[in-house]
Amino acid sequence: MATSSSSSVPFFGMSREEVDEQMKQQAAAAIGVGVGLGVGGGLHNHHHHPHHHLHHQLLQHSSSLLSNSQLTTAGAQQQAPPLSAASSATGSGPPQPKKKRNQPGTPNPDAEVIALSPKTLMATNRFICEVCNKGFQREQNLQLHRRGHNLPWKLKQKSKTEVPKRKVYLCPEPTCVHHEASRALGDLTGIKKHYSRKHGEKKWKCDKCAKRYAVQSDWKAHSKTCGTREYRCDCGTLFSRRDSFITHRAFCDALAQESARNPPPSLSSLGSHLFAGAGGAANNMTLGISSTAHSSAAADILRLGGSTTGGAGQFDHLLPPSTTTTTTSQQFRNQPHLSPSSAAFFMQQQDQNNSYQPFHHTLMQQQQQFSSDPNNAAGGGAAANQLFNLGFFPNSSTAGIDSTTSTNNNNNNATLFTNHNNNNHSGGGDDHHHHHHQMMMGSSTGGSVPLFSSSSVHQQQMNNMVAHMSATALLQKAAQMGSTTNSNPNATTSASLLRSAFAAGPNHNNQKSSSSSSGEKQHHPPPPSLGSFGGSFFGDVDTNNSNNNLHDLMMNSFAAAAGNNNNNNNNSPSMFNMEEGNHNQSSGNNNNNNNNNGGSSSNNKKLTRDFLGVGHVAAVRGIAGGTTTSNISQNQQQQVGAALERSSSLDSERNNNNSMGSHSSFGGNPSFQ
Amino acid sequence: MYQDDGSSSATSSPLQFFSMAQLSPNPSNLGSPYPYLRELKSEERGLYLIHLLLTCANHVATGSLESAEIALGQISQLSAPDGDTMQRIAAYFTEALAERIIKAWPGVHRALNATKIKIPSEESMVRSLFYEMFPFLKVAFVVTNQAILEAMEGEKMVHVIDLNASEPSQWIALLQALSGRAEGPPHLRITGIHQQREVLDRMSHKLVEEAERLDIPFQFNPIVVSGGLENLDPEKLRVKTGEALAISSVLQLHPFLASHKNPNSRLLQRQGTLGELLLDQKDNSFDSASSSSSPPIGSPSSSQGKMDWFLNVLWGLSPKVMVVTEQDSNHNGATLMERLLEALYSYAALFDCLESTVPRSSIERLKVEKMMFGEEIKNIVACEGGERKERHEKLEKWIHRLEMAGFGNLGLSYYGMLQGKGLLESYGCDGYRMKEENGCAVICWQDRPLYAVSSWRCRK
Repeated sequence: MATSSSSSVPFFGMSREEVDEQMKQQAAAAIGVGVGLGVGGGLHNHHHHPHHHLHHQLLQHSSSLLSNSQLTTAGAQQQAPPLSAASSATGSGPPQPKKKRNQPGTPNPDAEVIALSPKTLMATNRFICEVCNKGFQREQNLQLHRRGHNLPWKLKQKSKTEVPKRKVYLCPEPTCVHHEASRALGDLTGIKKHYSRKHGEKKWKCDKCAKRYAVQSDWKAHSKTCGTREYRCDCGTLFSRRDSFITHRAFCDALAQESARNPPPSLSSLGSHLFAGAGGAANNMTLGISSTAHSSAAADILRLGGSTTGGAGQFDHLLPPSTTTTTTSQQFRNQPHLSPSSAAFFMQQQDQNNSYQPFHHTLMQQQQQFSSDPNNAAGGGAAANQLFNLGFFPNSSTAGIDSTTSTNNNNNNATLFTNHNNNNHSGGGDDHHHHHHQMMMGSSTGGSVPLFSSSSVHQQQMNNMVAHMSATALLQKAAQMGSTTNSNPNATTSASLLRSAFAAGPNHNNQKSSSSSSGEKQHHPPPPSLGSFGGSFFGDVDTNNSNNNLHDLMMNSFAAAAGNNNNNNNNSPSMFNMEEGNHNQSSGNNNNNNNNNGGSSSNNKKLTRDFLGVGHVAAVRGIAGGTTTSNISQNQQQQVGAALERSSSLDSERNNNNSMGSHSSFGGNPSFQ
Repeated sequence: MYQDDGSSSATSSPLQFFSMAQLSPNPSNLGSPYPYLRELKSEERGLYLIHLLLTCANHVATGSLESAEIALGQISQLSAPDGDTMQRIAAYFTEALAERIIKAWPGVHRALNATKIKIPSEESMVRSLFYEMFPFLKVAFVVTNQAILEAMEGEKMVHVIDLNASEPSQWIALLQALSGRAEGPPHLRITGIHQQREVLDRMSHKLVEEAERLDIPFQFNPIVVSGGLENLDPEKLRVKTGEALAISSVLQLHPFLASHKNPNSRLLQRQGTLGELLLDQKDNSFDSASSSSSPPIGSPSSSQGKMDWFLNVLWGLSPKVMVVTEQDSNHNGATLMERLLEALYSYAALFDCLESTVPRSSIERLKVEKMMFGEEIKNIVACEGGERKERHEKLEKWIHRLEMAGFGNLGLSYYGMLQGKGLLESYGCDGYRMKEENGCAVICWQDRPLYAVSSWRCRK
């Protein structure tokens, strides 16, 4: 935990002064003195903060022949004398002698100020050959090219006597600091890069991470190092640049300090576990960097930095664990029979701790697989865990176990890792690894996460699943249930509401505008009234709702079985069509049947929201009672993806029951007509 | 009672039980406690509650008060503010629905709330609990600070206006980040706006202390506005020429959407046929569509009016950067059902967050749920017109609105996004996600967007 002292900031064992010092160093580095204080001592030549180029330093070279020379010079200037990995990582390296330089954008006053339009700036080839229309970035290059055409050409000679007039360039963006002459940048390349970095489109995207760059060279530089060295703050943030990392630490620490200073009534742990181990893990970070650094060759996905076991955990995950590789499709296929209600369980732990997986249902299979042998759960990752769970992660391992036994129900653990451990009653010595890697994995790779998750947590979730289900999942399920419960008119309101809201995701193209109009129905045989009621009456609501998560969850659970989602029949927002949409995902084309079957003439008569049993419940009950058993099997079939069977049987059931028994009974109870 | 009640439910799927459970309330035993309902498993009960809630809301929306009353009675059998997530949600939504019904009798409503006292300190306590329990505000702060930091690069005089100055930690962090700047720290002035003097004093004290420690020239300018930002006097902001201005707004803009027009509560007037209902709905949706695009002229209290005024004030300050955090949900629909359904989804997500991170027995959790979410739900569901302040809207609407007001979307930097993401991940609860949308950061629970942070500049 962070201390409450305000005079020094003790994270990572560095004093505030050291941190400041390093910040300054880094700042200096960023402007060209010493980039590359990085772990491995290599170069960091990608730039998040483009302003840091020291363009005006290049003025001297403005008359040199080719742009290349400028660039290389610039590059050379930015290369730091590499510090040794150890010294920089531990923060005890000797401070670099800093050359005092001008700030970027403070040119000599006598320089000639040039303002170029954005177009000119962005033009890649300003100098066009009149013969072949080939463009060049530099006039000199054009001259050389003209020589090839046997045209008159002339290279500017460097005058020995006359000092070339220095030029500085304005950024054309009026809101930019470099728009003013006093802050103009010193070379054309620089201003070009500045302009595209700061005000241009970032069209270069890194394949490995989410970063985008406006300047190709930035992107290239980043691509070279992406994933190779990274700093991970205890809070989980990754940094590829150390200066960014340190700036971030300041923030992280400030928040931690703050929550340490005013612990809220009993929530202090909640607040501070955020910055897990900011204080306590003081040494972990540096150790983490230096010691994991050499193994980074083995896996560049291994995150460096003070994530304690997080790093190891992540590593686990990215190894394809042999025991955990059930193929996705298998999982999906197997999933349903585990529990018809398994869709999107993020079950709460009894002890109320976190780390739930979003799509647990995909894990059910694995869970079973593992439940026989919890210790096996880490699978391929276990070895790695051991490897990395060295002595320098005391926080997470020992403390975690302690708290597991002692404070299962409380959140008063210092670190987020121990929080996870709380979930782990069954925990033997190694179990906490599962949590770690589960968490790290979860955080780094969204949806595919649970495929490689560990068992112990899920085992528990399995147990708890019976106990309760998240509200989000319930809403989803309620939506899904539209298909089964709509045979029961009572369910109409909620089921169809939710259902169409839910199905709005896949179908929203079609439903968007005309949801509430009856025009829709002209395209189709009139859907059963209940459905149309639900769909059209609430059409507005539902279709606007296209971003609801139900859709995604649903898609997930059906993903494997999903063949093709025939959109052609989804135009109507009616409940039954929704349902069909979903069938289509699994089977194909039952839609017309549904429509036809469902279509009945006495539409609005059945619009009963008489769920409360104000009347005719007996009739309803009779229906449902009669169909109970088939409902079950249908549900399961549906879950399994045998939608053909399911829908047909459901249809027939619905038709049988609805059209005979219930129609009349609900027709007889037109509470809103 | 029912032939296959008990026997099948024990072993079969909950779906089946659900369908049976629906049947149970038959006229003969209405109003009586249903013992078997209490034995429902969490999941079945949850499904049942959702179903009941929507049914009830429908009745309320259409003015079938007797039916609504029955539904409310049933829900209250099952809901519980300290139960599982769905029970809790149901409790707050029924409370809201009941309030909506009661509002048809203004006298009764007022009498019921006669002794309700707003205690500001409680409110700020709940806010800080919310701050502690969820990562949302922290992420918003991190992202905001990063955006400010980037925009203020090279600036020597920096002025930050915090429209809701309640958390010093955000600015302490900014101070620290500024002190590490390559070009050295700027002169920093922070204007904090809050309803309570004490909050501002505390903040001032902390910030001044930190600035002294870091040796940053610093000034704190507290502004107490009673009764919300609407009563802010822009003159007091004292923005000086030559200083670079940043504005931070965390959940402060949506109340300006509250409009006094169409105060007609739709409670008792909707006894019509389905056809009328449909028409009504259409009209409403048309209404809302047209009013958002062309504000009614000459109604000063209309939503557009107040919002326009405030955005214009902000724009007039020519901020170099303005970072806006707002709820990213659609709770400003024209109809009750629309809002209720959306709210159901968003608050389900929020309650799920708590369920997965805080023990059920936690008093703090209860407080946040009741005093914050419960009140918001009540406001969304029960209130209309100018009373309805919790008009959370989707990010795209905000983008449009701010663009119309002369702001340009700056787009958050990757670094900012990265920081936010990292902080989220640090919660270790992988339900929290962050994604980018139009250069803005959207913070989600699972796939449900909950909050959005966007960064703006003044387009002159």
